[in-house]
Amino acid sequence: MRVNKNWKQIILFLLPALILFGVYFIYPLGFVIVTSFSKWNGISAPVFHGFKNYIELFQDETFRLSMRNNIVWALVLGFVQIPLAAVMAMILARKPKGWKFFRTAYFLPNVISQVALAMMWLAIYNAEFGILNNLLEMMGFEGLTRNWLGNMDTAFPAVLVQQVFYIGYFMVVILASRMGIPDSYYEAAEIDGANVFQQEFYITLPMLKPILITTMTLALAYGMRHFESTYLMTNGGPAHSTSVMGILLYRNLGALNYGESNAIGAILIVFGGATIALIRWLFSRNLDADDGIQ
Amino acid sequence: MKKKVILMLITTILALSVVMITGCKKEDESKADQPAKQELITLKWPTIWVGEDSKAPMIAALVDEFNAMNEGRYKVEIEANPDYDAYRNKLNSQIAAGVVPDLFVLNPDPTSLSFYEGDLLMDFAEELSGSWGDNFVSGAISGATIDGALKSIPYEVGYTPVWYNMDIFKAAGIPDIPKTYDEFFDACEKIKAAGFIPTSQMTGGTNAWTSMLWFSHIAASIGGPDVWEKDITDPVFVQAAEILRMMYIDGNTSKDAVGGDAGVSGGHFLAGRSAMFINGPWYIGRVKNDAPDVFKATKIGPAPAVEGGFEGAQIGFPQSNLAAGATDDPAKKEAVIAFMKWMTLPENVKKISMDAGSMFAVKFGVDDGEDVDLVQGQFMNAVNDSAFVNTHFQANFATDVVAEFGQALARMALGKATAEEFIQQIADKID
Amino acid sequence: MHKTRSLNRTSPVDIMARTGKWIYLIFFLILTILPLIWLIISSFKTNYEFETQPFALPVVWQIQNYIKAFQMANLGRLFLNSVIVAICTTAFNTLVASMAAFAISRENFRFKNGLLTIILSGVLIPIIALMVPYFKIVSGLGLYDTLPGLIITYSAINIPISVFLIHGFMSTIPKELEEAAIIDGCSFTQRYTRIVLPLSIPGLVTSGTFVFIYCWNEFTYAMLLTSSEASRTLQLGIRFFRSQFVTDYTSMLAAIVITMVPTIFVYIFMHNRIISGMTSGAVKG
Repeated sequence: MRVNKNWKQIILFLLPALILFGVYFIYPLGFVIVTSFSKWNGISAPVFHGFKNYIELFQDETFRLSMRNNIVWALVLGFVQIPLAAVMAMILARKPKGWKFFRTAYFLPNVISQVALAMMWLAIYNAEFGILNNLLEMMGFEGLTRNWLGNMDTAFPAVLVQQVFYIGYFMVVILASRMGIPDSYYEAAEIDGANVFQQEFYITLPMLKPILITTMTLALAYGMRHFESTYLMTNGGPAHSTSVMGILLYRNLGALNYGESNAIGAILIVFGGATIALIRWLFSRNLDADDGIQ
Repeated sequence: MKKKVILMLITTILALSVVMITGCKKEDESKADQPAKQELITLKWPTIWVGEDSKAPMIAALVDEFNAMNEGRYKVEIEANPDYDAYRNKLNSQIAAGVVPDLFVLNPDPTSLSFYEGDLLMDFAEELSGSWGDNFVSGAISGATIDGALKSIPYEVGYTPVWYNMDIFKAAGIPDIPKTYDEFFDACEKIKAAGFIPTSQMTGGTNAWTSMLWFSHIAASIGGPDVWEKDITDPVFVQAAEILRMMYIDGNTSKDAVGGDAGVSGGHFLAGRSAMFINGPWYIGRVKNDAPDVFKATKIGPAPAVEGGFEGAQIGFPQSNLAAGATDDPAKKEAVIAFMKWMTLPENVKKISMDAGSMFAVKFGVDDGEDVDLVQGQFMNAVNDSAFVNTHFQANFATDVVAEFGQALARMALGKATAEEFIQQIADKID
Repeated sequence: MHKTRSLNRTSPVDIMARTGKWIYLIFFLILTILPLIWLIISSFKTNYEFETQPFALPVVWQIQNYIKAFQMANLGRLFLNSVIVAICTTAFNTLVASMAAFAISRENFRFKNGLLTIILSGVLIPIIALMVPYFKIVSGLGLYDTLPGLIITYSAINIPISVFLIHGFMSTIPKELEEAAIIDGCSFTQRYTRIVLPLSIPGLVTSGTFVFIYCWNEFTYAMLLTSSEASRTLQLGIRFFRSQFVTDYTSMLAAIVITMVPTIFVYIFMHNRIISGMTSGAVKG
């Protein structure tokens, strides 16, 4: 590859971001990885013992379950939430009545603190006075009522579902990109007799490919490091059924098991990175390569 | 258009540099301040006793009084740290980064007690061996001493007897609180028949609080005063787990107990739905203000005793100890000790206790004429009437083991594990 | 043209599309508005009502929850700090991230894909795992308990997502526009300020909105990196209602509602004004 004649400016433009990234990501990551090979409580000097933390983690049933749950989170966010958000962006881009109101409304859950959202969902799923059970009873499905978050079969889907429908975050990103597609494309298609579905499929989708890959990658990453709403709603319970790696990491942090905690962090990054790289590689074969990452 | 963008950028950079400069200025000023008032020793106290905490107003008043008394010499600054979990995280991270606060509150559980390692904390063993130490209830000082070092001063203690809603007992036709577990489960049947929930339980939160306390009560009753010295796999604990399991089945607790948090278990008691509940004296204010009818009907008493076991068990534990970062500066150490003495002065402790309803490891007298809250008085009686006081499960195990308790309990409560398997799951977590 | 439209309007496909569209819109509207309504109603209840009947209306609307929220947490000062932190972080982060994204998306150089992958992997890092190193960094820089400490930390934490998002938008800008500019004699920096930046405003606004909201709602590091009221943010104020054993839920919810209002306005303002106003013109023109 020939040397870019603007290399000085390129470096200058990259430098501020690289400095911040280096100080706040590379250095701490080094710290995390080094201490992940040790037993360390933050007080006495760390005792290095090779891969012991990693071996113990992979032998731990709870950790394997948490990893599995993280994969489900990533897949559901990436392949359910993103399509839902994309469809919504397509609808809103056609400016139906009150579209500005809708756009604002859908984003609101991202503004509300997660603490308040979790409190509400706890109340919805509650077995004694929750509205979900009340609703089911009203519709005559008494048999379906249960302690949604206290049941090993339903707790995980229940936490997952409440999060998946908050599409606002990604919808905003996709919509911003969709608004960049000139109206003339659609007008031309309409004259040619293409219906809305055809227009969206043959015009919007290909044009949105880069942003869809971007958001999908982000969604996968968020799924891998998912923590907050699970922590607030179930703290990984009952019987670890909703546990994710972030929960175990946090719990070990609180117990001053920095070695184990950081080993989980390292696994999360490596494993998550690999999953994302794999998925992007799969996609890039069918897509223009100029998106950047292959 | 372009101009606007450039304008935006420039404003941004300006705004940023202003903040940076003012930020730096502030630093300089504070540095310049120090040599002028060299003799003033400032102690920073990051504390959770702020905001909604019932001790907050009196703590603040005592600190102000201390500062006024020692004007020009010592100054204690309260740094508000609301949110208990966040406070612990901050403390842990600071200490791991090598920074120990001047003063702080330490929760004496095995995890936090590892701060005793090394030279992080100030050792008060010498100071407290004298007359100062006589102010404390017996056993408190020795309980906070590890290998001869007393690196945290016992302060707030928690007692967690059982709260009985006597209105529900009356409605169910039960004359008195159950003395044995046979009576207890008999009472449960009657309470259910009357349309109420017998016990408040929870497997959620960070420690399955209410149920963890029930378990501690049962274990104390079976195993006696030194039950926590036994291995967790001891049959005593399996037996206790079996009784706890029974509390979760056949509608003996609410439907939302599995996965429920403290809001769930406390909420049922507050709403007058559940008949038996466990919590400490800090909950008195909440019941009194939010559910006056339940408050009037509340009777504080011991948990039932297991037949053939130990009678008169009570659960109490050191809740918060006062600690300070070690220092080479003798003047600073003197300041810390002066403050510690002030905070543990019986009359000051009494002020906090009377105002907040909390209980302490420092002895103080209550005159007959003084207005002690009805329930608070019952708390004191419950403690005085007990044959022995045991700590709870949480005081004896690291925080990750305590978290495993809740997870294992949920499994048992859902019928996916036996009492043996429940205990085994906890034992596996203890290295 | 008008004719084809009216024809389409009555076709079965179109009717299906329209009904489907409204079902979709309303379904998500219920899901997203419900929390808001619930939150507002709950913030007017007593704790007893909240804990025992979370979905009933309050018997008496408790205005004093709001009064208490204002008084207790000293929201005024914290509010000012939050505004400063959120605005400075958003501006600083957007500037730094857009510069990097510009270099990566509009230039070819060795390792550029590798660089983007490395920066993107930062999104994966569980930030809570970094409390100890972040405390070390910020106190090492002498920025413990200062607003710049928070601003720099938040800016850095958001670098991966911002770079990635802005890069996503910048890479969709047609190369021809820039090529024309180069022929006209535009320098590297001019291409950034005059061509690419104006055209990627939707991306900048999107990423800026996310950063702003992140700053507004961030709690863990606000708690870790500050100690005095002079540098604390609103989220700390909300936590004043949560003590070790007892939480004043409804006053906390009132505080949450109060703190939420500015973010909603920022969001509406940013999107309505900037996206639909300025850029639709910019892109077309």
